[in-house]
Amino acid sequence: MRLRLALLAAALTLITFGALYGQREFRQYMGAEYYDFPLPPDWDQKSEFVLGRLRYSTHPMFGGSRFRGSNEWWTIDYPRGDRHVLEGLRRLTRLNARSVEQVVDLEDDDIFNWPWIYAVEVGHWVLDDDQVKKLREYLLRGGFMMTDDFHGTLEWEVFTQTMSRVFPDRPIVDIDNKDPIFHVLYDLDERFQVPGAQYFYSGRAYEQDGFEARWRGIYDDKGRLMVAICHNVDLGDAVEHSDEPRYPEKWASMAYRIWVNYVIYAMTH
Amino acid sequence: MFEFFFKYPAAVFSKGEVVLLGGWPAWILALLIAGSAAAIGYLVWRRGGRLVTGARAFTVWALQSMLAALILVLLWHPAVVVATLKPQQNIVAVLVDESASMAMVEDGSSRRQKAVEVLEGGLLEKLGERFQIRMYRAGDGLERLEKLNPAKDPYPATRLAADLKQVVTEASGLPVGAVILLSDGAENAGGIDLETITQIRRQRIPVHTVGFGREKFARDLEVSDVQVPARTLADSRLAAQVTFRQTGYTGTKARITLKDGGKTLAAKEVTMGGEGRPQTESLLFNAGAAGAKTLEASIEPLQGEENAKNNRQARVVNVDNAKPRILYLEGEPRWDYKFIRRAAEEDRHLELVSILRTTPNKIYRQGIAEPKELESGFPSTVDELFSFQAIVLGSVEAAYLTATQQELIKQFVDRRGGGLLLLGSRSGLSDGGYNRPPFSDLLPVTLPDRKGTFVRKPANVELTAAGKDALVTRLDENSEKNAERWKKLPYLLSYQDPGDPKPGAVVLAESIPAAGGKRYPLLATQNYGRGRVAVFASGGSWRWQMQMPVEDQSHEMFWQQMLRWLVEGTPTRVTASTPKTLLADERTLKIRAEVKDRTYLPAGDARVVANIVGPNRVSASVDLQPDPVEPGVYEGEWNAEPAGSYLVEVLAQRGNETVGRDVLTFRREDGVAENFRAEQNREVLEQLSRQTGGRYYRPSEVSRLAKEVEYSEAGIAVRETKDLWDMPAFFLLALVLKSSEWLLRRRWGVI
Repeated sequence: MRLRLALLAAALTLITFGALYGQREFRQYMGAEYYDFPLPPDWDQKSEFVLGRLRYSTHPMFGGSRFRGSNEWWTIDYPRGDRHVLEGLRRLTRLNARSVEQVVDLEDDDIFNWPWIYAVEVGHWVLDDDQVKKLREYLLRGGFMMTDDFHGTLEWEVFTQTMSRVFPDRPIVDIDNKDPIFHVLYDLDERFQVPGAQYFYSGRAYEQDGFEARWRGIYDDKGRLMVAICHNVDLGDAVEHSDEPRYPEKWASMAYRIWVNYVIYAMTH
Repeated sequence: MFEFFFKYPAAVFSKGEVVLLGGWPAWILALLIAGSAAAIGYLVWRRGGRLVTGARAFTVWALQSMLAALILVLLWHPAVVVATLKPQQNIVAVLVDESASMAMVEDGSSRRQKAVEVLEGGLLEKLGERFQIRMYRAGDGLERLEKLNPAKDPYPATRLAADLKQVVTEASGLPVGAVILLSDGAENAGGIDLETITQIRRQRIPVHTVGFGREKFARDLEVSDVQVPARTLADSRLAAQVTFRQTGYTGTKARITLKDGGKTLAAKEVTMGGEGRPQTESLLFNAGAAGAKTLEASIEPLQGEENAKNNRQARVVNVDNAKPRILYLEGEPRWDYKFIRRAAEEDRHLELVSILRTTPNKIYRQGIAEPKELESGFPSTVDELFSFQAIVLGSVEAAYLTATQQELIKQFVDRRGGGLLLLGSRSGLSDGGYNRPPFSDLLPVTLPDRKGTFVRKPANVELTAAGKDALVTRLDENSEKNAERWKKLPYLLSYQDPGDPKPGAVVLAESIPAAGGKRYPLLATQNYGRGRVAVFASGGSWRWQMQMPVEDQSHEMFWQQMLRWLVEGTPTRVTASTPKTLLADERTLKIRAEVKDRTYLPAGDARVVANIVGPNRVSASVDLQPDPVEPGVYEGEWNAEPAGSYLVEVLAQRGNETVGRDVLTFRREDGVAENFRAEQNREVLEQLSRQTGGRYYRPSEVSRLAKEVEYSEAGIAVRETKDLWDMPAFFLLALVLKSSEWLLRRRWGVI
């Protein structure tokens, strides 16, 4: 009995301490493509940069439900793509990056512990009003969101349906070539469409009617990008499959460069 | 009474010399006194041995011996020799203080009126019987007076030293036997200087003083000092230290206010402390836009206050339009780098120029003035580095900097007078090798001699006692609320052990690991050479921004204040200053300029000119002269006549090279100084009299003055010998001695 009480007290203390003082602990979810991906040996090493992967609900149009399940759109490329990106960032920059990503959501204030989030397949997402409000606050405080891997008109509309609720007064604009995000580390004046793994069987660089890569964003009042929107490209797949011989190197390299620039930009602006 | 017993006034004894006029030498007198004492002793013990013994015998012997000694002294003809002014041949200068404070009304009449009453009540008449009288009107200048009335406008200030000096100078050709000063002693020039006292003493002129006015007001509030920086950056948060004292209002509440023109900048309700003790309160305010500002600190008058004119004081602050440049070297992309940059960008009066090592061989520059700036990375030349006002070193190993660059950083602080901030990080402080010279010399802490001091674990923050009131850490005007606000800040995501603070360092905040254990200095500051150094031992302050609502400005405020602290005191190559930015009833402006060469060493070969522009189209150009002792320092003086605000532009030139310019502002006001310290300053008057051989008198004692004034060695004097043998005190003493013996013998029954 005493032991049980002691254990209960210890657990309560840990929960309270965690709620007050901790960033949420790392947890690996089951993904749509990977069920049991191995953890790198240094997965629990505390680092400056942690890649936050946004967990969101799937839009009802796509039969989605609340994101309690793991096999959802937000898990596309997860976690292999994220781990490759983090390895790339560690190898190519002086960034002290954690080897594993952090799954974050807009359910509570833990999101504010992770100033960089990546949202994939946002052509399938939906956020409720509280989440919209939280995301707006997160971005205005200085958080940065990169969206990727959504294609064509329909998915764009689904994305903007929610994004326009986050920032009704801020337009989504094409990022100018001169913007520092394309020059902070690599000069990326010459960008091209980077396809996903569907290229292996379709042979096409585009998906749906997303024929042309679009590099868009939302700026704050000081002219700093808060949201970097990669439309009609699949940078996640590009890094995920960058170690596959059949995936062309030029697309993988472009994806890495963009990833690096976006992360460094977010940490400098 | 004194004269009744001693025949002459006390001044005769204090100024004169006692002599013995008897024909025989004094040693015979001493011998006879000793002989008579011995003889009396022999008789007392031998003849009275059975009747008076022990202590009684001794008492009888002592009384008889003293009487014998007294008679012998009188036989030697004692007298006093004293210098006395010759009647009708000497002048007595009478100075009436007619400054504004003498116009103060107390008990129905002004101090001046009381002085006139004293003079006309018999003093002038009595003096006139023996001396010629020269009357002067004193204050801020000396004016000869033929008659006391009608009163003229009072002088705006009191400069007794200058007035006395003028009288004494005039006296060098005249037989001035004494000076009588009727004043309240409220001197505005800081007292009577030694030079004036020496001059008066050389001419042996006694200065007699008559003090007017209350020595202490019953009920008064006085703003005695206001301290604000003479210059600052636009939009800076400043603290005005307002010092005041009070009598009669202990425990009462009053409101102190700081105004710029009609605009209230800050106000605070305070409770009056101990009577007569200076009390200092801090008022925080924003300096606002660039320009010269006249700030007025005031304390609201309370009911029954006797002098409300001393409830306010003004100061001039020159709010600079400069945009100091801070160089931030960061060794790796970090969140604190981003959020510190964002905080600096919010401050339009700061320019944060940064170099970030993005890869092992690439840097990313932000805030540069032109594309080529800092292209090669951290500056390696004096010219390039010294163009900044402060340096911030983030997570970058000390070894990344060459020995030359490290020495330059030291000189940047020590010689240039710049600010240096080291941030906690995995490559900062001890973990970055900063625990070795030259950095170990510069820092306010003694860094631990080990690695692994940087910990990525949560830590809370608490301000120290110094931090509660420091401008750098001010998030709230009220120091207690400020401390509470810091306690409530989200935890830091990392902390670092920076070692122990050095003697002279100030720790403003501490980090408290959430898991418990030792507290560490989080923010420590220290001056080094001409500059200042700070350590912020964490890399996790970005959470203050991300964890607080977007409207909360705590993170921005702290970092802006931190960066401003770094640059506020950094001088330019030409730095002009004046000891007083407000000349209250003074005219002389003193200008000092420090001129440096390109490497910030003193430039002793410059031509330095101060161009002054003032009210009523006053303009002047003053050549500042090199200080013979301090190289690179130039000084000059100028008399500002009309009251108002002045602007001084100091230009320095070396050959064809313009070294630089600096601007200072000052203000001249009339009729201010006399309202302060308006009680009678008896100490000044007494000291003046004591040092010159005169005496201090209350108005009720002046009847003695007329007699005592004649004993002086100045002017035309004769030495008079005055007999003392017939002084009543001697006879009274003889009577007391003999009757004491008789009474004692009677009591003992041995008559």
